[in-house]
Amino acid sequence: MSFLLRCPHCGDRSVYEFRFGGEVKQRPAPDAPEAAWVDYTYTKANVAGVQKEWWYHRSGCRQWMIAARNTITNEVLETLFPER
Amino acid sequence: MLRLFKKERMWRTGDLKPRYDVVIVGAGVHGLATAYYLGSRHGIRSVALLEKGYLGSGNSGRNTAIIRSNYRTPEGIPFYQASVKLYEELSRELGWNMLFSQCGHLTLAHTDSAVNGLRVRAENNQVLGVDSRMIFRDEIRRLVPAMDLSNRPRFPVLAALYHPPGGIIRHDAVVWGYARACDRMDIDIHTFTEVTGMRVEKGKVRSVLTNRGEVAAGSVVNATAGWASIVSKMARLPLQIVSHPLQACVTEPLKPFLDKVIVSATLHVYVNQTDKGELVIGAEIDPYQSYSMKGTLPTLEQMATYTLELFPQLHGLRVLRQWAGVCDMTPDFAPIIGVAPEVENFYMDVGWGTYGFKTAPIAGKCVAELIATGKTPNLIAPFSPARFTTGQLVGEKAAAAVST
Repeated sequence: MSFLLRCPHCGDRSVYEFRFGGEVKQRPAPDAPEAAWVDYTYTKANVAGVQKEWWYHRSGCRQWMIAARNTITNEVLETLFPER
Repeated sequence: MLRLFKKERMWRTGDLKPRYDVVIVGAGVHGLATAYYLGSRHGIRSVALLEKGYLGSGNSGRNTAIIRSNYRTPEGIPFYQASVKLYEELSRELGWNMLFSQCGHLTLAHTDSAVNGLRVRAENNQVLGVDSRMIFRDEIRRLVPAMDLSNRPRFPVLAALYHPPGGIIRHDAVVWGYARACDRMDIDIHTFTEVTGMRVEKGKVRSVLTNRGEVAAGSVVNATAGWASIVSKMARLPLQIVSHPLQACVTEPLKPFLDKVIVSATLHVYVNQTDKGELVIGAEIDPYQSYSMKGTLPTLEQMATYTLELFPQLHGLRVLRQWAGVCDMTPDFAPIIGVAPEVENFYMDVGWGTYGFKTAPIAGKCVAELIATGKTPNLIAPFSPARFTTGQLVGEKAAAAVST
């Protein structure tokens, strides 16, 4: 197994039950300048270390969650549902 | 004759000089090619290559060594084609046998939509002068008699894009050949020299900081793969890259039975048999971002399962080793080559995703020309870092190991 993610609803599950959703970013305001939207769309921090990222539990509870994961070791430090 | 068996030093090791005209971060095949063409075509020989590991320790030694140019876009095809042409002459030019075998390359289609995709590629390839055509089961059977072309698999083979000049090269030999040629031009190769930072002043990189001291630089090239975002951040330039591992494995050797490179995007797998008889099998990129270079069981299972769909007679074959390389994926499966306006002497040759090895000669040649003349060669103009701002993405969907 490559690694497990702890879904806040379903518990520890194989990473292959999830869809990776990319790093967590702040969405610009609808009327923000184009540069801000280009940046939001394409630019990635691509952190080597702990990063906050989106995961979707597609073979489980079908909810989006946020995980803090070390991208060098794949160790998952924390998972939580985003505040609505 | 005895000279053939004499030990020959391929490149020297030495101290860092205080200053170089060009400092290249990453002495993989891209960095080495850039240095080689700077020296041989433009007479720029005050060049240093900084490599954090041993030579060929990164993706230059981790790829599956496939060379081809049957891509899909009008931007990509001429670029990859120029690279194949350079590879054809490279052994002679460098005086070093790279065992380039243009054995032929087949991209399989298992669905109607995949057949249509391959037809588009065949047409685009032919218009742009690449030897590439559609073939169907009868001809596939003649070329690859060992492959299961029955209706037994869940996704039977319907057709293939046949690319006769495609093939396999010895990737370590490419690294060593370039390194030797660079060394003979007195270009310095510094292995185990890790870049830790850069001093940026007034829109220029002044010097590069390493674990062996500081080096002043006229120009700096980021020729890293897997670590491109981290090196670019040292020059305060964020990139459009997400790094994913790509895994491959090699099996125990068999008698020769397969002399074509076989690729299937539907089955997320590619296979070829080496001169030693081993099968080299590559997978799709891992479905999550990571810098981890550990192999995983799900990917090994996937490679085995899909290889057996094509070659069921390989059941029971043992795997010798499995490894991963980190691929810098861009949103449009095309590289990022050029200069960002914010830092005028920092050249990028990054974002090489799953297609970096096969383009090293032409990328190195174009980047060298860009550094030496200040003019962007036409071949790399579509891959400029500015394309994300202007919205002119390339969309190279014929890249390997990606099925999105």
